[in-house]
Amino acid sequence: MNRLLAGLCLVPLLAGPVLAQSLTVAVQADVRSINPGVNRDDGTDDFALQMVEGLVGYDEGGTPQPLLAEKVDLSADGKTYTFTLRQGVKFHNGAELSSADVLWNWQRYMDPKTDWRCTSEFDGRSGLKVESVTAPDARTVVMTIDKPNALFLDTMARTDCAMTAIIHKDSVKADGTFDKPIGTGPYKFGEWKRGEFFSMTAFEGYASPRTDGKVDGYVGSKRPRLKEVKFLVVKDPATITAGLTSGAIDLSEVLPSDVQQLRNAPKLDVVTAPTAVRHVLLIQTRDPVMKNQKLRQAIAAALDMDEVVAAASDNLGETNTSPIFSRSAYFGAVEKQGLKYDPARAKALLAEAGYKGEKISILANKRPRVPSFSAAVVVQAMLQAVGVNAEIEVLDWATQLDRYNKGNYQMQSFSFSARFDPAIAFEQFAGDKDKQPRKVWENPDALAKIDRLMTVADRAERQKLVDELHRQVVEDVPLIFMFNGVDAIAHSKRVKGFQPWQSKLRMWEVTAD
Amino acid sequence: MLRFALTRIVMAIPTLLIVAVSVFVLIRLIPGDPASLMLGDLATPASLADLRARLGLDQSLPVQFAIWFGNLLRGDLGISINSQEQILPLVIARFWVSAQIVLVAVLLASLVAVPAGVIAAWKQDSALDIGLVAVATLLLSIPTFWLGLLLLLFFGLKLGWLPVVGYVSVADNPTAGLLYLVMPILTLFLHEIGVLLRMARASTLEVLRLDYITHARAKGLSEMTVLWRHAFKNAFGPTWTLIGLVLGNLLGGIAVVETVFTIPGLGRLLVDSIFARDYPVIQGCMLFIAFTYVLVNLVIDLCYPLFDPRVASQ
Repeated sequence: MNRLLAGLCLVPLLAGPVLAQSLTVAVQADVRSINPGVNRDDGTDDFALQMVEGLVGYDEGGTPQPLLAEKVDLSADGKTYTFTLRQGVKFHNGAELSSADVLWNWQRYMDPKTDWRCTSEFDGRSGLKVESVTAPDARTVVMTIDKPNALFLDTMARTDCAMTAIIHKDSVKADGTFDKPIGTGPYKFGEWKRGEFFSMTAFEGYASPRTDGKVDGYVGSKRPRLKEVKFLVVKDPATITAGLTSGAIDLSEVLPSDVQQLRNAPKLDVVTAPTAVRHVLLIQTRDPVMKNQKLRQAIAAALDMDEVVAAASDNLGETNTSPIFSRSAYFGAVEKQGLKYDPARAKALLAEAGYKGEKISILANKRPRVPSFSAAVVVQAMLQAVGVNAEIEVLDWATQLDRYNKGNYQMQSFSFSARFDPAIAFEQFAGDKDKQPRKVWENPDALAKIDRLMTVADRAERQKLVDELHRQVVEDVPLIFMFNGVDAIAHSKRVKGFQPWQSKLRMWEVTAD
Repeated sequence: MLRFALTRIVMAIPTLLIVAVSVFVLIRLIPGDPASLMLGDLATPASLADLRARLGLDQSLPVQFAIWFGNLLRGDLGISINSQEQILPLVIARFWVSAQIVLVAVLLASLVAVPAGVIAAWKQDSALDIGLVAVATLLLSIPTFWLGLLLLLFFGLKLGWLPVVGYVSVADNPTAGLLYLVMPILTLFLHEIGVLLRMARASTLEVLRLDYITHARAKGLSEMTVLWRHAFKNAFGPTWTLIGLVLGNLLGGIAVVETVFTIPGLGRLLVDSIFARDYPVIQGCMLFIAFTYVLVNLVIDLCYPLFDPRVASQ
């Protein structure tokens, strides 16, 4: 009898995933809105992408893969993409996903009234134009672009575009204003109290792309295994540490400088992982002093990058002097060959450059989660050691960004947001400064190669172009790449299965005891 | 009295106008652009142009000012660039969160610090006086963020009596809400005790040296009567003024305390808005703060006759 009762008690546990636990996650900023891809920032995208999904999404390595689509076929001329939708995908309101939903969403995104962040990426103003979108049957969507473009799927998968999410029509009120996201993601929208918290609950009707428990970017196994996740807005890092220690917070990003202390806390685990963010030293090549290539090469040779990275990342980062993310498939033997620390050569180059001790100002900011200032301090010391008259000018982030956008600086300690595809990774800083003063590198030969990289799909040819561009950027020194960003996440030991990835707090496949 | 109050309110209008114009101009003199901040290094010329047009930032400054000021005259402070919320309800909601902390903290601090200051002055140079002044100086010297963190570590982490992070509105859940308010109130309370005690002591000392106090003592009045009936009423004026200034100052934002204790108050809203260059919210907050300051000081002035009849007769 007892065995029978015990067996009966076990039946519900074996029937499916347990959704008994809730988590409290601390985030440093409130979301801007709950309208995916509209009025957004990184944290807003992160929350949205727990609830909505696109036809394609990034895998762990940053390559776009089918998500709501089962497969994507490309025509021989490279202009027509045919998306076959997965069967059985449901929206949070129970409605089944069909190609009509994709059409409705595309029309909404292309309507300027929607204010979608990425409209200009697809209407021809940024070089890519979607000419037609059709739905020949309920499971098929055909999109045609004006000319072959290797970045079309990547652009659709971009997180700042909210993955070109497919939401249900009922997400929008009758008067056209946005109500709440009714998506197909593993979690449903819960509640949002501005300035305090936002929450989401498990979508029990979720159709995961895979169910093997292996998390893979936005496309792997994505089962919602928590009943509710509450994101609490906590700005002060010391308060976050106290909250984690007391158990009031289950999981949070923490400062690299707090990692060692938190690793010693008995109830906490700390996990770290590199991100595709790139911490760099920008150099204004049109500045009267900095336009001297020998001087820029001298600066590069004066930096013991391993030391810079160790100091600026609290020993959590790894040196990467390439624009390519260290975990990218394009990060090969050539990309590992970066700058070489050689103070004697730096001094010789300074003499060749005719440098006479002119003051060189390095802009930096003191945002707590960015190593701008700490990196600038070490760089300044190393430059001074070889005779460069370097000084640091500390600005608030908005002012520094303004100076970046106007190209108004000599050097600055800056961070580029994550870029997966090498074409975009290079395009991010290369271009005509007369048209976009924020651009750093305007070598015509390099720009032509980047244009080629944008369109060519062949993997071997792309790698060759990436290698050549890497060598060129090291030679020209319009900027110096230091290291990739590092995610440092502390969580309660009761939290299982969390894997940091690109500063996104993915809550699928996460459980709590 | 009514005429006095109305005159003060009318006099506040040019003050608020000056605040409105200067905040509008000054915030735009700071480098930085909300559209650039929202897009970060992802900005393309096309996306930046789209966003600037949507936010109305592509208009000339005089046009932006005319639109904003026109709306202001209709009681509309505009919409937040960041959250797209109506600013007036947002500012009022955040103000009440800050106000409940500030009002309770300053009231409690006044109730403790003023009698303590008077007693310290009465017992000048005694061990009690030295002790009170030392405590006041210590409390005044401790930065509020550090004091807040100490309280958080002691009451939140070590003893586990009070919640470490989060916020619950007293209106939603009075018991839980009060628990979340204890530490921020205690932080401000301790800090303001230092400020008010020193002022109460100094002004009482000044009054105790006056001839009419000597006269009162010579008449044989008890020390308690001399102190509370004759000295306190005259000595309280400067402290009362300081309470007004402290209240006006704190009601304008306790950003540091709000940040440490994750309180969604007015100060945090203002600081966040400055970093995000959310111009309409900054302007709305500053106007509201200026208005609050004027109003609090008016109330303080109107209360003077309650303890000093000479003011009413003037």
